[in-house]
Amino acid sequence: MDIVFHLVIMSGIYMILALSLNLLIGYAGLFSVGHGAFYGIGAYAAAILSTRYGLPFWLEIFAASAVAGLVGYVLGRPILRLRGDHLALATFGLAVIAFSIFTNWSDLTRGPLGIRGIPKVTIFAFALEPLWSYAVLVMACVAITLLFLWRMTHSPFGKVLEAIREDDVAALAIGKNITRFKVVAFVTSSCFAGLAGVLYAHYATYIDPSAFVTAESFLVFSMVIFGGMGSNLGSMVGAAVLVSLPELLRFVGLPGNIAAQMRDVIYGALIVIVINWRPQGLLGRARL
Amino acid sequence: MLSQIFVNSIVAGAVYALLAFGFTITYGTLNFFNMAHGVAFTVGAYLCYVFRILLGLDLPWATVLAVFGTSLIMVAVDLLAYDRLRARRAPSWAMVVSSIGVAIFIEAVISLIFGSDTLSLRTGEVRPGIAVLGAIITETQIVILIVSVILVALLTLYLKMTRMGKALRAMANDPEIGVIIGIEPRLTYMTTFALASGLAAVAGCLVAFETDVYPTMGHSALLKSIVASIMGGVGNVGGAVFGGLFLAAAENFGVWKLSSSWQDGIALTLLLLFMLAQRSKSMLLGK
Repeated sequence: MDIVFHLVIMSGIYMILALSLNLLIGYAGLFSVGHGAFYGIGAYAAAILSTRYGLPFWLEIFAASAVAGLVGYVLGRPILRLRGDHLALATFGLAVIAFSIFTNWSDLTRGPLGIRGIPKVTIFAFALEPLWSYAVLVMACVAITLLFLWRMTHSPFGKVLEAIREDDVAALAIGKNITRFKVVAFVTSSCFAGLAGVLYAHYATYIDPSAFVTAESFLVFSMVIFGGMGSNLGSMVGAAVLVSLPELLRFVGLPGNIAAQMRDVIYGALIVIVINWRPQGLLGRARL
Repeated sequence: MLSQIFVNSIVAGAVYALLAFGFTITYGTLNFFNMAHGVAFTVGAYLCYVFRILLGLDLPWATVLAVFGTSLIMVAVDLLAYDRLRARRAPSWAMVVSSIGVAIFIEAVISLIFGSDTLSLRTGEVRPGIAVLGAIITETQIVILIVSVILVALLTLYLKMTRMGKALRAMANDPEIGVIIGIEPRLTYMTTFALASGLAAVAGCLVAFETDVYPTMGHSALLKSIVASIMGGVGNVGGAVFGGLFLAAAENFGVWKLSSSWQDGIALTLLLLFMLAQRSKSMLLGK
């Protein structure tokens, strides 16, 4: 039964990542392949705040997400002026730089050793010790993320984002400050990626740089592509499927290390197939 | 110390130049950032391993076969993964996405076949390097330098002098007019892919002699090709060579003061700064 809750928790964490990335890719047309950077920043912020400063969880979850959002603002301001594939390259750069900082800034992150002993979550004296209770917390966070992003994308703000995606010059011409809209979307997305990082840090209780390699960013990216750009439901399905895939492969009898590589084979092929033959993904809207 | 840094920079720069040369002509002619460029480097190194160690061929033959094999595989990949997108006139980010899929797929296939462990191409014992002006240079490093210089020179001549080379540059300049004056687009795209991945494979083999072979070796190769070609002005062949040398120098001098694990961080920070500096000219609005 534990494996089911483990999958629910991990799927939930990746759902938050995929949903927040979908805001950028699907709605704003900003191709970020560096989402893992903000995931990592959230996780490290949570680890440091809880192990060194003993912040209570409910405060820390906001603080760590805010740190991710702040970094998103500082980096987003300059790089969001880049467009299309240049932006993709720059965000890829962010992911590599973030990984390099996690590995090398030993005073802050303890480098490759990682941070141990991140406490399990306690909310107002209720220890979320059993796995199912943590799964409930993660799912609650998914629901909040979904609600927030749904409200955001179905508001006039979301319509402007879509306008920017379709034709930013036209959006500029009708007087929209496109840079501001892009930055707000980027910061929101970074905050939620940070939230996913917080949840991961407290679930794993140990983090090191290897959890935030560039492949992680690609994984989240392919969840959105596979689920269908611009579909929140699609991103969630994409996250659940790609997280569960290695377990499924193990279930049909592949040994653990082969199952992980098989998953990469399958999801690499999926990306190529989806973008070539079904660019709208599983549940997205047709475009291209 | 300083002369050693100089030698290291030149040798690393030669490899980066080969990588960036391929990345930049792919961007020029096919107009997308090929995130699977690093994988060609890995495939080249692994094919070299297959021909050299598993089949026991001589090193030069193994290298040549590995390079041609890589080109062949990557041209096939081009037909499978990008041809449809081009036919549909998909935006360049779609090609980037497809190439990410290709990179993940091929890397995973390699680790399925060969395992994730490090393999060695070395057969004899390690020989000590030669001292030149207070710096140590190994025989492999000399081979790397010679091969890189010859290849870059030959390819520059190829692009300038031959009919196909001119066609490649014409397509980079304006594909529509290229087609109007009778250039066969698919053939130029395939040639570009063959050249670019062949060069990456040469770099892969050269690095494999010096270090070892492992499935994720293409990651840093991809980073170097991106950074070097952006610094040289992407699409600009001479710039790619210059960018490669500059990047290698920046890394080696940076490592002198900082720990070597900062290398990628330094390189990518340079990339971001260069991209933001160039933006104001060409990427303000539209392409």
